[in-house]
Amino acid sequence: MAEAEAFLRLTKLTKQFGKFTAVNGVDLDIREGEFFTIVGPSGSGKTTLLRMLAGLERPSAGDILLRGQRINDVPANRRPTCMVFQSLALFHHRTVGQNIEFSLKMRGVSRTERKARAMELLDMLQLPTDYYGKNVTKCSGGERQRVALARALASDPEILFFDEPLSAIDYRLRKLLEVELKDLHRATGKTFMYITHSLEEAMVMSDRIGIMREGQIIQIGTPNDIYTRPQSRFVSQFMGEVNVLAVTASGDKLEAPVHGAMLTSPPDRASGFEQGHLVIRPESVRFVSEGSGAENQLTGILYNEYAMGSRVQYHVRVGEEMFTVEKLREQAYQGNLNDEVTIGWDAKDSVLVAE
Amino acid sequence: MNKDTKPWVRSLLLAWTIAIVVFMYIPMISVFLASINAPRYFRFPIKKFGMNWYDDTFAASVTGDIHLTSLYVAAVVALVATVLGFFGALAFARFNWRGRSIYQKIILLPIFFPQAVLGLALLQWYTFLGIIPSWETAAFAHMVWIVPIVTLVISIQVFSFDASMEEAAYDLGATRFQVLREVTIPALAPGLFSGALFAFLLSWGNFPLSAFTSGADSTVPEWLYSKMTVAYTPMASAIGSLSVGGSLVILFGAWFMLIFWRRRQA
Amino acid sequence: MSDASHRLDEPSRLLALLRSIASPGVLNAVPPLLLFLTGFLGPLVLVGLTSFIPARTFGFHGDWTLENYSQLFAEGSSHYIPFLWSFGLAAACVAFLLMICYPIAYGMAKVFGKWASPITLLLVLPLFVSENVRLFGWVIFLMKGGGIFAGIMKTLFGLDPGSMLYTPAVVLFGLCYVYLPFMLFPIVLGVSMIPKDLVESANDLGASRFQMFREIEVPLAMPGLLVGGLLTFILAVGAISETTILGGQNISVVALDIRHEFTYNQNWPGGSAIAMLVTVLTGVLVMTLLNRLNLDRLLGKR
Repeated sequence: MAEAEAFLRLTKLTKQFGKFTAVNGVDLDIREGEFFTIVGPSGSGKTTLLRMLAGLERPSAGDILLRGQRINDVPANRRPTCMVFQSLALFHHRTVGQNIEFSLKMRGVSRTERKARAMELLDMLQLPTDYYGKNVTKCSGGERQRVALARALASDPEILFFDEPLSAIDYRLRKLLEVELKDLHRATGKTFMYITHSLEEAMVMSDRIGIMREGQIIQIGTPNDIYTRPQSRFVSQFMGEVNVLAVTASGDKLEAPVHGAMLTSPPDRASGFEQGHLVIRPESVRFVSEGSGAENQLTGILYNEYAMGSRVQYHVRVGEEMFTVEKLREQAYQGNLNDEVTIGWDAKDSVLVAE
Repeated sequence: MNKDTKPWVRSLLLAWTIAIVVFMYIPMISVFLASINAPRYFRFPIKKFGMNWYDDTFAASVTGDIHLTSLYVAAVVALVATVLGFFGALAFARFNWRGRSIYQKIILLPIFFPQAVLGLALLQWYTFLGIIPSWETAAFAHMVWIVPIVTLVISIQVFSFDASMEEAAYDLGATRFQVLREVTIPALAPGLFSGALFAFLLSWGNFPLSAFTSGADSTVPEWLYSKMTVAYTPMASAIGSLSVGGSLVILFGAWFMLIFWRRRQA
Repeated sequence: MSDASHRLDEPSRLLALLRSIASPGVLNAVPPLLLFLTGFLGPLVLVGLTSFIPARTFGFHGDWTLENYSQLFAEGSSHYIPFLWSFGLAAACVAFLLMICYPIAYGMAKVFGKWASPITLLLVLPLFVSENVRLFGWVIFLMKGGGIFAGIMKTLFGLDPGSMLYTPAVVLFGLCYVYLPFMLFPIVLGVSMIPKDLVESANDLGASRFQMFREIEVPLAMPGLLVGGLLTFILAVGAISETTILGGQNISVVALDIRHEFTYNQNWPGGSAIAMLVTVLTGVLVMTLLNRLNLDRLLGKR
């Protein structure tokens, strides 16, 4: 990363509510034009962090610097930023056009100019131009999302903030909107900062992801980094169903309590590693038969299978643990439930995390 | 919620509110002072304090009469208004029926009406029907505008009532009456209680309706009015203060009871 | 919201009969509607009819006339004076109370948090004390010579404020005082209906404090403002205690005018005509407002 002035820099940003610390000394650099998502469970402080950046909360300590300028004291209505709220916060007593034009009206832009801009945005967001006079309450869920986006874009802000806008809508629409958001990001070239509790959602859209836990950012990286190299068990849990094995160092191998098995360590094992967890993603685990082996192998009983569209997921009981294996539909396991099976993975596909 | 508003704005709002609250109580304090002013004519600063007017008040027979009248009226109003308000609220908020939105508007009309004009209209009505005004007709008059208010108060409670509780009770074998007794009324109890309280106190303090419809009987506010405009006696101040004190006791008592009841529920 | 009817229990015959006639909603509506008919609509219809019989007569003999109304608007009729006083004072009262109450309502709904309840209680309390007592308290406070205010001024500053009672201003003051809670609580309800995230969003989109107030807060609190304003206006129009206790004989209001016609002039038709005018005017205002309101949403239906 270039050491030139970071576009948006947070230094030791902190927010306390009475005795409770919601955001605890966060340091973060955001690049201009990137799609950065903060992923964290509820209560991790991500909403508070975003609100501080938007100007809706005052930091207790720390600085927010936009292009090197400290903006802590700049009020929300003066910041060159716009937020899309979780509830969308559309003005239900106004029309679609009036909503979109709102920020321009606040600045005193003339009526004709406002309308032209609104039409431009309706077009960009793929809404029919005759929606201009339509009452917001009569729009569908997806349409309202687009109106909220158009409204946020109208005044051409430098940064757009998104407070989990897709969490309350159904799966199909959400998937559609995730793609649209990413396309919108590419089309406008603006900096997007997004928060969500779903890593899956973040991975679809983001350039970089920050994982937040209890007020602190514990890992930053590209979606691929986070997915293949989680730095802690907490982070790996965001990936959905992953296999997590408690292991202790045993020479240059790893001993797992499952069957007392000895496993080959992943290549990036730290020299001082004593004990921790081994994370193996379900799609890295395969069924082993005579003829095809794997570096690490375990035997167990096939407990159940779950069809998931283009993939199939299997639960294999190995000793006290349940292993998750994922295969593409075309490569589905051909046997029956309660079969004794051998599953395995290559050491390079596993990750060692500290705690 | 508080943290969003700037501190100086908060202080200003609070100061203004407190000023108005204090302002609201100035007259009642004044009445109290007048009641403990020993001489007949009020002069401030008070030279001589005394409880003599209270003694006179308790000794006078008219005191008992007017308080009894007010009490009869208020008690009847509270009882009947709560029952009617209960039914009214169920129709207002609980059931979906075809005339509901018209009903909602109709039933609220008596609230949005000048009371004195209503009182006069009722006087004419009683005369026409050959009914001699007395405390009973005053009670009826009170009910006309108080029942809608009680209906509103109970409706607010009904709106947050979860109707599936009743369905669950049916499902578990209760009869209609048992559901009413075991589920509906207990769940609505705070609303019913507030409604009854409102009804009692609003009736107690009402003047415009009583003035025209009570005939020869006199409620406390009517008697006070006559003393204020015609023949002043500091007993009026004493009775006025007692009213204030009484209302305070009743309201705080009710408030504590509600808090206590809510704690017991939790 | 459903009204599950349970056919397995054993209702009494009467209940079964009732239930077969009409739905629960209708049945429950009957008792209060009966009261409405016999206590509100009935009397007003009577007043209406009476306004069309010849002046100073009693009973209906079929000789309808418009003379009571034309008499009101005739040359030399002084009935318009109390009308103007009542409606004018009521309008002024609403205007002043709007400005006084909005900040309080805003505080109660958005700022004071847990203090809102005790403050509400304190402001509701005076409502339950007879307005006569409270107005009389102002007489004692504002009395010339020995009044409390005069006494304080004299003792502390040596000033004599003179007569403050028996003026239109003090009557207006009394009206504002008595009807303050009626304006305040509907506005609190209205302000509480302003969703917080809409205000924040407006702020985020560049609105100044005043713009947030004008574009978001006022339109969204409007139902409460309208209900409070209307209620206050109509009740103030019918007020009599304020003028008689605080205003002496100087100001006549429409309700007193009606009573005067009924009692001194023995002119029930004449008084009825005045009452009808008041009823029609207030009725039009009320129906206009109630039709525009969504009462369910206002009162908290889920």
